[in-house]
Amino acid sequence: MNMNSIGEACNDLKKEYDACFNLWFSEHFLKGNTNDSMCAPLFRVYQQCVKKAMKDQKLDVEEVSKDVLGTDKEKKEPQSS
Amino acid sequence: MKIWTSEHTFNHPWETVATAAWRKYPNPHNPAVIGTDVIERRVVDGVLHTHRLVSSIWYFPRWAQALIGSAKVCYASEQSVVNPVSRHMVLKTINLTFCRHIAVDETLRYTPHPTDPSKTLLTQEAVVTVQGVPLTNYMEEMLTSRISNNAGKGRQAMEWVINRINDEVKGLTKSTDEIFNHTKKSLDDIASSAKKSMDDISQKAKKESRRYT
Repeated sequence: MNMNSIGEACNDLKKEYDACFNLWFSEHFLKGNTNDSMCAPLFRVYQQCVKKAMKDQKLDVEEVSKDVLGTDKEKKEPQSS
Repeated sequence: MKIWTSEHTFNHPWETVATAAWRKYPNPHNPAVIGTDVIERRVVDGVLHTHRLVSSIWYFPRWAQALIGSAKVCYASEQSVVNPVSRHMVLKTINLTFCRHIAVDETLRYTPHPTDPSKTLLTQEAVVTVQGVPLTNYMEEMLTSRISNNAGKGRQAMEWVINRINDEVKGLTKSTDEIFNHTKKSLDDIASSAKKSMDDISQKAKKESRRYT
């Protein structure tokens, strides 16, 4: 199941990447194989498309991250048992 | 500032719920979410870190429209970590645009249920702050009740997605390749119908916003 991307041109790339990720997540990652190279090529092309779409829509990637990184909202590893 | 919390138990193992969480949108219960994009994703020390941009359309009651318009596309930043060993999935979302006046910070935590590890506990927390807009109390009340309402929808949505995944898995053969192909095919069908309804929504939103501007 897929959502749209903010860039219409990225929808197909996103669809392909999401399908790959969902498979990787349940069949590899959750089963202990944390090597994420499987979807890396799809991720790269999708990323390029999204970054461009964000720029076109004046959504700054840096701005988006700035609100979070460096504050207590920054992603942190959960306490592992 | 208003704080809202809730707990919910899914009768599914954590792995199922975590898988469904990535596929939560689109679903018929949260039509407001119109897009998700991964901005950054990497595995660090066995933990998956993801940064997503979530786009949604918000509609407001008539009295609030003079202040903020009838419909707005707002963007939220969602940071998440998934630890497959400790079986934790935590998603933190903050509104980026809302557009500056309203901050809705939400945290979702999926963990194995403490007394029954075959079930999954969801704890949800939201903090709403409104600044620089008149009628702030009304606005906070309105948003808080909306979050409460949406949280219920979010849980229904997760059950809906889990059912879909279970159905998909049941109907599939063992080979990973075949799963991939089947999944891709059904995704294509679902995606095209979802896209159609998304297009309808954004058409309606455009019409609405034109009417009030």
